[in-house]
Amino acid sequence: MVKSLNTNVCEEHIFSNIFRTLSKDVHNFLRYKYGDNLNPKDKVQEAFIKLWDNCKNVTPEKAKSFLFTTANNMMLNEVKHQKVVLRHQQIKPKGYTNENPEFLMEESEYMKKYQRALANLTEAQREAFLMNRIEGKKHKEIAEELGISRKGVEKRIYGALEKLRKEIDGI
Amino acid sequence: MQKEILIQKWLDGELDDAGLKAFKALPEYESYTKLSEKAKLFEDTSYDVDFEYGKLNAIINERRQETPVKTLNWIKPLLRVAAIFIIGLAVYYAPLYGNTTTVKALASNHTTVELPDNSSVKLNASSSIQYKKGNWKNNREVNLVGEAYFKVAKGSQFDVVTWLGKVSVLGTQFNVKQRVNYFEVTCYEGLVSVSFKGKEIKLPAGKTFKVIGNEIVESETKDSLPSWTGKKMSSFKSVPYGEVIKEFERQYNIKVETKDVDTTQLFTGSFALNDKELALKAITLPLQLKYIKENKTKIVLTKE
Repeated sequence: MVKSLNTNVCEEHIFSNIFRTLSKDVHNFLRYKYGDNLNPKDKVQEAFIKLWDNCKNVTPEKAKSFLFTTANNMMLNEVKHQKVVLRHQQIKPKGYTNENPEFLMEESEYMKKYQRALANLTEAQREAFLMNRIEGKKHKEIAEELGISRKGVEKRIYGALEKLRKEIDGI
Repeated sequence: MQKEILIQKWLDGELDDAGLKAFKALPEYESYTKLSEKAKLFEDTSYDVDFEYGKLNAIINERRQETPVKTLNWIKPLLRVAAIFIIGLAVYYAPLYGNTTTVKALASNHTTVELPDNSSVKLNASSSIQYKKGNWKNNREVNLVGEAYFKVAKGSQFDVVTWLGKVSVLGTQFNVKQRVNYFEVTCYEGLVSVSFKGKEIKLPAGKTFKVIGNEIVESETKDSLPSWTGKKMSSFKSVPYGEVIKEFERQYNIKVETKDVDTTQLFTGSFALNDKELALKAITLPLQLKYIKENKTKIVLTKE
């Protein structure tokens, strides 16, 4: 990442570097945790503006935790136990020919259920699960990013998977 | 338990061939793979780092223009240094120059002041002195407005400063009287030096130095105390009559007006400080004047 020689993040190239390496992670982190309806993109912007305002007091090494904490706090200010909604992409018609309307219906039903089930996960479970499944991050990476043990990450992801399966399959 | 470890390994992409086989044999296999596959649909592919950075940059640039670039960064530390410096100086000099003490005697009042070295000052009516307590030992200096009798303890030079002249002594008793256009120093003990308009005059005990207008007059006194402190009298020797009236006004806190009276003629005599009627007679009878009390605060003097 950024070299620790620099004592703060006011320099434009450092700031830009931080944005490019971290903004997507911050965005995804907010999204997985709080869903789409609280505008995670805006919160990322706000968090970075705050970082820029305080650029003199933040070293590059501290920038990451500053951003995640700030963004998270901004979200918490808005979250009043709103239902988490994660938008999904529409199922694209694929190459094979056996895609009848019934199949598409079923798929769409499945995604609706999936969406509800995701909302019912705990923030911690959803966050770890989606980091793993969407971004393909290894357990170890997630553990580092969230500052918890690898065992904890495994528990969260596995717990999430089982909970989703049971809810969607209707067991 | 076995199943949990198997699934965790699968989730982390760490399954070997045997593990994969066992995983595929699970009844929930399809369920898991579908969940895993469909999870990817929840990805927000619309997040474009460059686009977002452009947006952020626009906001930041706007802010930069609002808050001017802080080029005056050096001024803050400089002010801090300056403040410390000034405080240091102030603390160092405070005992020397700090707390100027002012003592005032109001009209028709006399006040006695003890200076830090046991020298004492008796203030006549409507007079005031100012001195610095802090550095008294090294700088015995008193600013005087009005009239005062000084009894100075032995020690370093003692100065009485008035706007008409300066009186310096080492240890003695003397009276200084300063009015508008009138300056009088009388030495009762020891030796007093008077600076007046660049001249130095040594005044031994029993001598009086007087300046009326621009005229210097030296005379003698036999008293051992100024009459206003000892005998409760105000005494005058060849003093313009106007000064006598002003003194009367100060001592009795009353207004005196004159009609057809020559206030420049010299008056020798005295009036009592504790009996107004007697005092009025004392200053009017010798000059054949009469007095009319207009009201409680005003007296008019006229020729008989």
